[in-house]
Amino acid sequence: MASVYIPVQNSEEEVRVALDQLPRDASDILDILKAEQAPLDLWLIIAREYFKQGKIDQFRQILEEGSSPEIDDYYADVRYERIAILNALGAYYSYLGKIETKQREKEEHFILATQYYNKASRIDMHEPSTWVGKGQLLLAKGEVEQASAAFKIVLDGVRDNVPALLGQACVEFNRGRYSDSLDLYKRALQVFPNCPAAVRLGIGLCRYKLGQFEKAQQAFERVLHANPENVEALVALAIMDLRTNEASGIRKGMVKMQRAFEIYPYCAMALNYLANHFFFTGQHFLVEQLTETALAVTNHGPTKSHSYYNLARSYHSKGDYDKAGVYYMASVKEVNKPHEFVFPYYGLGQVQIKLGDFKSALSNFEKVLEVYPDNCETLKALAHIYVQLGQTDKGQDFIRRATKIDPRDAQAFLELGELLILSDTGAALDAFKTARTLFKKGGQEVPIELLNNVGVLQFERGEFELAQQTFKEALGDGVWLSFINEENKSSVDAATSTLQFKDMQLFHDLESNGHHVEVPWDKVTVLFNLARLLEQLNESGTASILYRLILFKYPDYIDAYLRLAAIAKARNNILLSIELVNDALKVNDKCPNALSMLGELELKNDDWVKAKETLRAASDATDGKDPYATLSLGNWNYFAAVRNEKRNPKLEATHLEKAKELYTRVLIQHSSNLYAANGAAVVLAEKGHFDVSKDIFTQVQEAASGSVFVQMPDVWINLAHVYFAQGNFALAVKMYQNCLRKFYHNTDSQILLYLARTHYEAEQWQDCIKTLLRAIHLAPSNYTLRFDAGVAMQKFSASTLQKAKRTADEVRATVAELQNAVRVFSQLSAASNLHIHGFDEKKIDTHVGYCNHLLSAARVHLEAAEREEQQVRQRQELARQVALAEEARRKAEEQRKFQMERRKQEDELKRVQQQEEHFKRVKEQWKSSTHSKRRERSDDEEAGTGEKKKRKSGKKRKKDKHSRSRYDTEEPEADMMDEQEMDEEEADAYREEPPSVMNDEEENAQGLLAAAGLEDSDAEEEMAAAPSSSIARRRQALSESDDDEPLQRQSSPARENSVDMQESDGEIRDVHKTHADDGSDDDKQY
Amino acid sequence: MKLGGIKSVENAHDDSVWAVTWVPATANRPPLLLTGSLDETVRLWRSDDLLLDRTNTGHCLGVASVAAHPLGSLAASSSLDSFVRVFDVDSNATVATLEAPPSEVWQMRFDPKGSILAVAGGGSASVKLWDTSTWELVATLSIPRPEGPKPTDKSGSKKFVLSVAWSPDGKRLACGSMDGTISVFDVPRAKFLHHLEGHFMAVRSLVYSPYDPRVLFTASDDGNIHMYDAEGKALVGTMSGHASWVLCVDVSPDGAAIASGSSDRSVRLWDLSMRASVQTMSNHTDQVWGVAFRPPGGTDARGGRLASVSDDKSISLYDYS
Repeated sequence: MASVYIPVQNSEEEVRVALDQLPRDASDILDILKAEQAPLDLWLIIAREYFKQGKIDQFRQILEEGSSPEIDDYYADVRYERIAILNALGAYYSYLGKIETKQREKEEHFILATQYYNKASRIDMHEPSTWVGKGQLLLAKGEVEQASAAFKIVLDGVRDNVPALLGQACVEFNRGRYSDSLDLYKRALQVFPNCPAAVRLGIGLCRYKLGQFEKAQQAFERVLHANPENVEALVALAIMDLRTNEASGIRKGMVKMQRAFEIYPYCAMALNYLANHFFFTGQHFLVEQLTETALAVTNHGPTKSHSYYNLARSYHSKGDYDKAGVYYMASVKEVNKPHEFVFPYYGLGQVQIKLGDFKSALSNFEKVLEVYPDNCETLKALAHIYVQLGQTDKGQDFIRRATKIDPRDAQAFLELGELLILSDTGAALDAFKTARTLFKKGGQEVPIELLNNVGVLQFERGEFELAQQTFKEALGDGVWLSFINEENKSSVDAATSTLQFKDMQLFHDLESNGHHVEVPWDKVTVLFNLARLLEQLNESGTASILYRLILFKYPDYIDAYLRLAAIAKARNNILLSIELVNDALKVNDKCPNALSMLGELELKNDDWVKAKETLRAASDATDGKDPYATLSLGNWNYFAAVRNEKRNPKLEATHLEKAKELYTRVLIQHSSNLYAANGAAVVLAEKGHFDVSKDIFTQVQEAASGSVFVQMPDVWINLAHVYFAQGNFALAVKMYQNCLRKFYHNTDSQILLYLARTHYEAEQWQDCIKTLLRAIHLAPSNYTLRFDAGVAMQKFSASTLQKAKRTADEVRATVAELQNAVRVFSQLSAASNLHIHGFDEKKIDTHVGYCNHLLSAARVHLEAAEREEQQVRQRQELARQVALAEEARRKAEEQRKFQMERRKQEDELKRVQQQEEHFKRVKEQWKSSTHSKRRERSDDEEAGTGEKKKRKSGKKRKKDKHSRSRYDTEEPEADMMDEQEMDEEEADAYREEPPSVMNDEEENAQGLLAAAGLEDSDAEEEMAAAPSSSIARRRQALSESDDDEPLQRQSSPARENSVDMQESDGEIRDVHKTHADDGSDDDKQY
Repeated sequence: MKLGGIKSVENAHDDSVWAVTWVPATANRPPLLLTGSLDETVRLWRSDDLLLDRTNTGHCLGVASVAAHPLGSLAASSSLDSFVRVFDVDSNATVATLEAPPSEVWQMRFDPKGSILAVAGGGSASVKLWDTSTWELVATLSIPRPEGPKPTDKSGSKKFVLSVAWSPDGKRLACGSMDGTISVFDVPRAKFLHHLEGHFMAVRSLVYSPYDPRVLFTASDDGNIHMYDAEGKALVGTMSGHASWVLCVDVSPDGAAIASGSSDRSVRLWDLSMRASVQTMSNHTDQVWGVAFRPPGGTDARGGRLASVSDDKSISLYDYS
């Protein structure tokens, strides 16, 4: 063991002091040192030895004694040793200051250190070791630039001063100039190859920072080789192992980390990494302990930030968002620039999203994005926030960027799809499909909600087959298969129960047969959507079973009741439908959808007052926010305005106003509600503002095209009505025909009636009659149509007879048509005996009489026409003969003249004279004969037809005037009425809100909700669709009744209640009326 | 089983074709196809080439129904003016002109033995039976008025009769009406038996199975075809799939399939063992008003034939196998 020898004063002897046997009490040694006036370097050596042995107090005692003023005096000429002692003390206090965590004491230590160094400087300004010490002190205080200046002073003096080199390297490292730092370390090592391990540690760190991991690792390993207990090197190596991100690496890293911890339990870095590790292993208790220790032992910002971050993460994962937020915030505060440590911003953003503070979250995620502009998770988070803030476009941009950056991120595509659903279903579908493919490729199970969304979108785009496949895929295996698949159908006798909408026996039977009737909760929505799809595919029987299956397991599923009711309604089974809706209301008597539907059904049952109450209730149930209920009320008012035959102008105006108000209210709440727009346009049209209403209708029509969920035939009809009212018959016809074909499979006799009426106005009699015949064929029990057909035939005949010019064929056709009319009318007349319909016999008789009259007149006309035709033929023949004769005469004359001239010259006067005479005679003969014949004929003609013609033309004028005035006043209104009525129905059909289908977020529950939204809209749509049909029926009823109304009042007062309904086809009614009137007018005149 | 298109005649009539039936073969000629149209004509066609054999005129308003006597010699046609014209198929000589005012005329069917012509009487809520030898009205089968008149429902209280069908043994007659109810009569006793319920919209066509006198198929505007046990008053099955009104239904001679035509422009073939649609023909471009399987018999040994007619003025012929 090493020893020092203290020379004994004034002798040759020395006192040997074994360094490993230093006395516990430093005073003993001090006494010796003082007594023997030992050289100061011995003092320092002994003090350093104490320090090495960890005996700090002794160390300090000796050095403090060694730097005391007495010593200064005594050893005044020994400068270097005194400086060394002061510097040692300075370094000691620098170190204390550096490791001290409490700010005040830290500063005290630094002040002491500064004092010692200053004292050393006073002894010798130029002593490099003092400058090095000062530099270290400044470094410890964080004053990097000043430290650098201090080191520079040293290095300017001595280029290879190792401590200064190291200090400067440290400065450069802190400045982030790692390669400069590395050079300095290398120089130090070259100058002093045996320098302590710390130098190599510096090299390793530099290389690490420069990304030269292998060399860094070598450096660290050398350090460890030199000093197996070097914590920093251990931690650094551990970090590098962890970086490999492989299980083995992590394991190795953790072992090292643990060793470092065992060697020195207060290394914050090691603590943080350990905490990080335990966070991932889920040992949150350890995480908290470790990080708290780390926080206690370090003052280093980034390290603290790490610790806070670990702590926050731990709380975050435990769901304690408030605490997590606080710690994330603390962590963020320790970070100067997000670039240094960005994770806490991310965590903070996440917590803020959770806590609903989207604005702050937004700024945090944006900071993360600045650092990692291509981070998908961040992009997705930002997209989510923008959507929450209502900036959907921005959200889409972000999520699109995310999908572009990582085209294999199924989740991103899923979210993109969800964002796109509202704006662009096609793109949404593509996104969902991509997501599905990615999930499949990744071997993951495709989420049911995703499949559901894909199915719904396909459904909406009309790709029914695909949608069905998708839904089936989503459903997978289950009890429903036995109902859906045709092959299995026979095994379950489902067919018999398809009509029993409330029958659950089927499922009970299945259960008692040992089948397991089970419907997982997350598949109910898909099942419902599939049933909905089957309905669309007209498989309503199967659909009904699926709905019942849902109800069997989930008896509170209102939408299933409503769909069943809708199916029943489509089959015209109103009573059953009402019953089913009432079942739904038993589940929730405030359900606005059910109430609305009930209202429609009651309307269909002609229960006006009740319907109004129900609709009111529906409206109240949603505080008037439900557009469907409001629209229904608007429609109700509209109907009320136009329903009464004897229109009460005041009442009508009030109802119309009210209807308009209601439509407008809906439009204010939902500016894109097609049905409300349609309704408003109807009211406008009713008031005669055709141009405005036409614009609106056109827009609605455009908007309504493109989705299977939006079917608005009414707007087509309304447009056609407007064209009609404006006299644009050709367009009206086209519009009616298109509507009929597009929406009704050509089965709607009411539209045929409109069409016939348009032909009638356009005086296209044959088209009119044919159209009416088709309508009769479709609706045989609608006698009004027959009446109309009769009227059309009658009108056709009358108009033909009134024509100034007509052929015998035309008249013949007229006669045939008149006979048909007579037959139609007399059949009606006979049928009215059976009280099959409400026509007044007298009225029909009038028509029959008129037709017969026309018929007899027509016969006269026919004879006349035939005679005339014959005469014309004769006359033509005669004229031809005359013309021929004249021609011959002229030719002869010419020839003769020619000859005459020639002969004149020859002067054969005699013969000339003779010939002339002869010629004259012939000529005279010709003249007289033609003249007389012609005269005769014209006389004849005048006597025969002239009179008649006169009379007829007078009549015609009168009639025209008559009818025209009537049309002018009444018709437009009438049509409008019809239209409106239609519209209204449409209006009912209104509410398809954009399928708010599936915004399901990441979570299932939400997915379900969203899907429910979809169902809702379906159900509504159905309801919506239904009203129109009901109205159509009502309309039919009306059309029957209106003709008779006037009559009914006289003939059958008992039927008064039916008058209620007579809102509708004013149009045709008008036609009849005018016709009937015409008829009677004519009669009189005849 | 399947249908294969053989031939289609575009513009077979000048306007919508509303009625079709097969006239059975006689000793002198193969079966003929008989069609009636809104253009007021009745036309006879030779299968399989669908060559026009003859055009009968004389009807006013559209021809809504045609029927052929089981022996193939006589046929009847009726139009919206409610006249029935009975004529000799080969000579076109008018045999009789029938009317029973105020009853209208809708669907007509000869009974399997050919002794009675049943005519759906529309608003008279009855079926008229005409003796085919004397051409006199022999019976009126009236549908009883439902009890408890409903004043609010104007058309509902009336059974407007649209369609008729004979059971293969000729003992039963079923008729379909506008409100969807089906009424079954005992013909020998001229007695109403019962209603069959399930439809709530017009039943425009119905037909008995050729082998089972209990089984009745009905086509309704509600888009479904029902299969009833007409004696037991029970609904046996429902076949849905058409997108709009089912306008006509006919059963194949082998009793294994039915064909239906619909406003959705399609003709569907249904396999009765599966009770499912096995084929959909969509060659028509407008509503399909009539489908008719060719009755068996005659010298023609070729396979089954199905004909369909449509509002698009065309006639189509298919091979059924």
